[in-house]
Amino acid sequence: MNEVAAPTQHAALAARVSEACSQAGLVGEPHAEALAALEAIDYPTTRQERWRYTRVARFLEVAPSAPADLTAPPAVVGNLEALRFTFVAGQYINGDVLDEGADGCFAGPVSLALERYPERLKGWSKSDFSTREWFAALQASAPQDGVCILVPEGKSLPRPVLAHHHMPDGVHVSQPRDLIHIGNNAAAEAILWSDNAAQSAGMLNAAITASVGDGASLSLEIVQDEPGSVHHMGHHHFTQGSNSKLTLRTATACAHWLRNDLHIVQDGTHADSTFHGCYLPNGRQFVDHHTRIDHAHPDGQSNELYKGLAADKSTAVFNGKIMVHKDAQRIEAYQSNSNLLLGEQASMYSKPELEIYADDVRCSHGCTTGQFDKEALFYLRSRGMTETAAHNLLVQAFLAEVLNGFRPEIRDHVHAVFSRRLGWN
Amino acid sequence: MLKIDNLHAQIGDTEILKGLSLELGAGEVHAIMGPNGSGKSTLASILAGREDYEVTQGSITFDGVDLLELDATERAVAGIFLAFQYPVEIPGVSNINFLRTALNSIREQREEAPLSGKDFLAKVKACAQLVELDGKLRDRSVNEGFSGGEKKRNEVFQMAMLEPKLAVLDETDSGLDIDALRIVAHGVNSMRGADRSFLVITHYQRLLDHIVPDFVHVLAGGRIVHSGGKELALELEEKGYDWIVDAQATEQA
Repeated sequence: MNEVAAPTQHAALAARVSEACSQAGLVGEPHAEALAALEAIDYPTTRQERWRYTRVARFLEVAPSAPADLTAPPAVVGNLEALRFTFVAGQYINGDVLDEGADGCFAGPVSLALERYPERLKGWSKSDFSTREWFAALQASAPQDGVCILVPEGKSLPRPVLAHHHMPDGVHVSQPRDLIHIGNNAAAEAILWSDNAAQSAGMLNAAITASVGDGASLSLEIVQDEPGSVHHMGHHHFTQGSNSKLTLRTATACAHWLRNDLHIVQDGTHADSTFHGCYLPNGRQFVDHHTRIDHAHPDGQSNELYKGLAADKSTAVFNGKIMVHKDAQRIEAYQSNSNLLLGEQASMYSKPELEIYADDVRCSHGCTTGQFDKEALFYLRSRGMTETAAHNLLVQAFLAEVLNGFRPEIRDHVHAVFSRRLGWN
Repeated sequence: MLKIDNLHAQIGDTEILKGLSLELGAGEVHAIMGPNGSGKSTLASILAGREDYEVTQGSITFDGVDLLELDATERAVAGIFLAFQYPVEIPGVSNINFLRTALNSIREQREEAPLSGKDFLAKVKACAQLVELDGKLRDRSVNEGFSGGEKKRNEVFQMAMLEPKLAVLDETDSGLDIDALRIVAHGVNSMRGADRSFLVITHYQRLLDHIVPDFVHVLAGGRIVHSGGKELALELEEKGYDWIVDAQATEQA
């Protein structure tokens, strides 16, 4: 496969992206380290293990323009009570800003937080990914607006935050960063939602950076419901303190081409991380979940569960890395990835990666890829269900373990999207 | 109601049914008995539309319709129900959700309005009582962790919910203790009526003490070799199958 990208090609892409983002509006200053990384890191190719099944050569052709129309999209999950914020193509449109002052909670756009509390956001544009991955460096070199959640020590958010990122019709690029800081013994719940218009194309290169303090908890639901033909790169980075609890659920409800890079670092003892995900590409769609958890300290726990179905000629990728550092004794790490293939031309690449340098740990992982149970299908059909109704029920059952963890409004939405897309309604 | 004529069927290269003919009238209960490997379960599977079998010759008509032209779903919509010998466990799908989906799927295909939530629940209650299925089993995943008896009671519960015209019971007595057998038989008996026929497939006569058939047939070597009234079952229990199978062999020779 000839995917060698001449340096000038990806440098040219970076220039085009940077120009389009600047024209639309940047937030803060690009990070110097990210700019240097952008020069130094090679453009990903399928010869690199991390990018083996993920072709990004076609990105080089993206020629984005700054969007002219920044109309707010319709609200999502309208029945959910939350502090809502809307962003279109990396620009803040409107929202229910919460500002309790310098010592209190803040929820609002990053741009406003930078204006009001620059000292609380020191080093905000830097993330671990931005010096390691070319696309993350690109994001940090021309960062745009996203939601900022700051919860100081001992406080908790009065209501969940719902940040809605939208890409309008046309070929655009958007590079939002969502930023979450949960202080020691503080708590927050948030929903990060991305969707786009039916005729949208281009690239969404989005970063989520969160830190969860000692004894703190963060519950985050990520919903990706993107019916256009946008290429979505996600860089999701989490750092956890001692005795902290992170619950992260990602539903890739619909995506033309999507890669999520998730990295969780347990930077303290007795940290607890739950991360679940589900995905269901069909047609020629591509969905890739690359996850990594670092157990860097003793007595931590992690529970990872990703489930998905690939239909038609689509491709799904799952790569789950568990890194257990030398001092991380007595940790318990559990990973599971299950897949269903529907259609002879659908592909699934699933790979667990365990690196264990401590000697007293419990790690388990399991990965299955299969097809619908023929006997179960016959049973359902013998009771009068059509083939599609039977499929729908079996997929619902298959994904229940993951979907039931979301709040009901979101679970129902995601299930409805799955059902509609595969003609199961 | 059901007419099977000279049915030949095979799985892979093995011919299992070799010219089976059978006729069931409306409201009749027929029992099919026979030694192991005679083709009893194959017949049940073919009636319900399992695709593993290939019918090479013969015909099945159900209410004047060529049954072999219908797939499994369409047969259920036409009013055929198979109580499985080995009911399938479906983790993650609650019994109630399963039945609601099945019932409304059938109603939709028959161009009937879906059942209201209230009517559905009333029906669930009545049918569950029939086979003494308690609330917990209704809400649990389909057959998951059910005992053998609970699975069979669940089959009869589904049958009561779906109200078929023809119910095929495939070895429903296997794995049942005497109490469960009585409950299952009671469920079936209370559903007998002028518009509903039953084909009861069993290896043992004891089920037929409780579900008394109008006719008894012996299936051996892929064909019905002997038919009689309910008293035939007792005779079979006493003498075994050999005398019929041997007589048949002599006749053919």
